[in-house]
Amino acid sequence: MNAPGNPNRLHPMHLAMIVPVQALLIATIFLPSIYVFWLSLNESSFGVAPKFVGLRNYVEVLSDPYFWRAFVNTAIVINIVVYVELALGMAMALLFATGIPFRKTMISIVLAPYAISEVAAVVMWRFMLDPSIGMVSQTLTALGLPTIEWSVVPAHGLAVVCALSVWLHLPFTFLILYAARLAIPADLYEAARIDGASPWKQFVHITVPVLMPAILVAVLFRYIFAFRMFSEVWLVTGGGPARSTEVLAVYLYQEAFRYNEFGIASATGWLMVAGSILLAIPYLRSLYKRTLTDA
Amino acid sequence: MRRPLYIKALRGLALLAIAFWSAFPIALVVLSSFKPARDIFVFPPTWAFTPTFANYAGLWLRWPDFFRTLGNSLIVTLGATALAVIVSAMAGYVYSRKRNPYLAGSAFFMIFVRLFPPIVVTLPLFPLVNALRLNDTHLILVILYATFFVSMGTMILKAFVDQIPRELDEAAMVDGAGVWSVFWRVILPLSAQGMIAVGVFVFVYAWNEFLFAFIFTTSAAKTAPLVLSEMTGAVDGVEWGVLFAATTVQLVPVLIFVLLAQKYLIAGLTAGATKG
Repeated sequence: MNAPGNPNRLHPMHLAMIVPVQALLIATIFLPSIYVFWLSLNESSFGVAPKFVGLRNYVEVLSDPYFWRAFVNTAIVINIVVYVELALGMAMALLFATGIPFRKTMISIVLAPYAISEVAAVVMWRFMLDPSIGMVSQTLTALGLPTIEWSVVPAHGLAVVCALSVWLHLPFTFLILYAARLAIPADLYEAARIDGASPWKQFVHITVPVLMPAILVAVLFRYIFAFRMFSEVWLVTGGGPARSTEVLAVYLYQEAFRYNEFGIASATGWLMVAGSILLAIPYLRSLYKRTLTDA
Repeated sequence: MRRPLYIKALRGLALLAIAFWSAFPIALVVLSSFKPARDIFVFPPTWAFTPTFANYAGLWLRWPDFFRTLGNSLIVTLGATALAVIVSAMAGYVYSRKRNPYLAGSAFFMIFVRLFPPIVVTLPLFPLVNALRLNDTHLILVILYATFFVSMGTMILKAFVDQIPRELDEAAMVDGAGVWSVFWRVILPLSAQGMIAVGVFVFVYAWNEFLFAFIFTTSAAKTAPLVLSEMTGAVDGVEWGVLFAATTVQLVPVLIFVLLAQKYLIAGLTAGATKG
């Protein structure tokens, strides 16, 4: 090539151009997170000088039944949400890929929830599910079924949170799987059909293996993002009744900003960071390999 | 492909169910915002009614703050979008064109850090932001929203710049252009699509974000989603009509924006998520 010398030599200008991104990340995410680790080793409250207590906050968090309730709720909610989204997103991606009428319009409709804030979505779902005026409840009553008491029964509250979350994030899962499915060359299926493979066999032996990278991306990303869920729970149940529907982010918020227990909240925060990284390990490993082979 | 009739019928039903699931809650709220109070709670819901702007008038009268907070949302959203797109474009260019172990390390760091849950950083930032007198300002939200999107933004823009032939910038270099003018005159114009794609993501996120706005703003920089949540939490019973009007005002502009920009959204998602 024409470039003189090593084409990968960095000009100071190149460094200057990556500084803003790195500075934002270091100043607003990385250093604060490190500081949270320090805070988690101290007994501290807002406006009070921290006092070093070692791992005592972690012991307290791990022996707090509310923490474990929040942990179990988080585990239940993310597993339901991620796999329901995967199943629905996959079914929709396959349906759309076989050619459907009004494809563009249908994609617009499916995409619409992506544009909507959690708060607006909560307005919609609370209206539909309101125990006295909501049409879902009225339909259930008309059919002689029990209604959804989401503000009274914890399981109902979490079910509403799951439905809401699936509604909001299905477009993401769908689009990733749909784009990957469209990239599968048609002759693969052609050949399979000629060999007499049934649609189910084609799904198991072609679609699933070829889509596996996209499935992993969709599932991992949704795991990592559902793990930090706050707004849906906060806006639907506020964590109640009696802190029974808290998820980890809501537990952290309550400890920090309601009970002023910064040490407890920080220990929870660091456990959440560790949890996120654990969930992301498969992704981080592939990323690490790719960036290294790239280098 | 020829399909038996019952398969066609099943597919049609499935599509109807998908459309209903996605669009019904939105349509219900937008339509209900134009309904007179007595029609809102009619069951089953009526689709034929005399439209009224009474709920919007009620919103204007009882929640005047809402329109001011929409202005805040717009300022914060535009600021975060501009900041994130500019810094991601610069970094995306460098990561696309240069390879070395330090850059690879910093790219890894960039994505690694993005995996930290946002609520964790509120703990140390809350007192810090207070001390710097940045709480309840547009600036703090702009910085936070941009920060949480620059990693994805950089990966998306890297993927877009990767598609611009290197010969173009090398030719410009031979003509004596410096790094910055290559970026400014060659790369930026050709990666406009990628910049729009990143912009759409940041815009939607910043317009709708709740957690940071909830923690870092109280009145001056309060954003519209916060007022919506106050309206749903009103102790003396929710005024549904007024709430629907506010929800419609908050969601319809960004909904239209997303539908117009869906091409970029899909391009960005495939470039950023599957390749990044």
